[in-house]
Amino acid sequence: MSDDKPQRRPRGSGFDDIDRRIIEVLGRDGRAQSTTIGEELGLSGNLVANRIRAMDAGGLMRVVAVSDFRIHGYRMVARIRLMISGRPPIDVARELAAREDVLSVHITSGRYPVSCLYAFRNAREMIEAVRQATADLAGVEDVDVELINNVYRYVPAVGPLGV
Amino acid sequence: MAFEPPEFPATDQLDRDIARMLADDARLSFRKIAADLDVTEGTVRGRVKRLQNAGLLKLVPILDIDRAHESAGEDHGQHMLFITVKCASGKLDQVRRGLLALPQVSALYDANAAPRLVAVCILGTLREAADLTDKVIALDGIREVETELVLQTVKYNAAIAPIATV
Repeated sequence: MSDDKPQRRPRGSGFDDIDRRIIEVLGRDGRAQSTTIGEELGLSGNLVANRIRAMDAGGLMRVVAVSDFRIHGYRMVARIRLMISGRPPIDVARELAAREDVLSVHITSGRYPVSCLYAFRNAREMIEAVRQATADLAGVEDVDVELINNVYRYVPAVGPLGV
Repeated sequence: MAFEPPEFPATDQLDRDIARMLADDARLSFRKIAADLDVTEGTVRGRVKRLQNAGLLKLVPILDIDRAHESAGEDHGQHMLFITVKCASGKLDQVRRGLLALPQVSALYDANAAPRLVAVCILGTLREAADLTDKVIALDGIREVETELVLQTVKYNAAIAPIATV
């Protein structure tokens, strides 16, 4: 390929210095206009727009809106961890992932291999979710519930975008 | 000490709809959002600003965890580690400050009205995970440390999370 337009990059390669600088500006203001970013970095607005689009299309970077659970009508969030026996943890994880009020599900190396973040509208929903996890989910040996109280830091710079 | 939930401004369906429209593309034009939701562009702009100021909405670039190390070098991205810490009585604030001083800690919560802290850490290498665990164990006021390395993410919702800090 002889096309050497600056927004093109070889398949599979990562970010270059221009991308890094663009991401840095987006970190300060996710909605900064391409022309504004370009002015700051000494690049054309078109180049900046193309780079952002290419990173997004390539699954490398996405500018997202992260909103607090309270906006969505939830009142509480808990981390619920499950100890599993006699069944692959991934099967339990997939069952949980299908629920709308389960925000995230991870398989970890710990004693409780299935770890999920659950949102609830009220305490009754939480009690019911824990009851279901214990009584209705096959293979669940033990459940650990941590009600999240205060958030002291939330800096979402990296995440599993491919999931 | 009684648990007092922090106060946040009331939000309504319009806030919810705006947050949902911005979720996957925070750079979507306010004009488009306004047209879809049948309000003025100024209303959308005002709502977004208000939610941002309250800490209820963040518009941020997220790098893919499998690719981030290509960008920022190997001390970024790649591995997610949960560290759960039980603190000795009266030491919660001190331990919390110690954890917040660690740059690898990308999120920190307390749970069950304390004295338990949960840190979500982003690490470049497994070696770094071991070093970080050592640093946490060395913090004064720690009673118990549990680390869990994320092996697989089955579901990840970047749009809704506990994000509003106190």
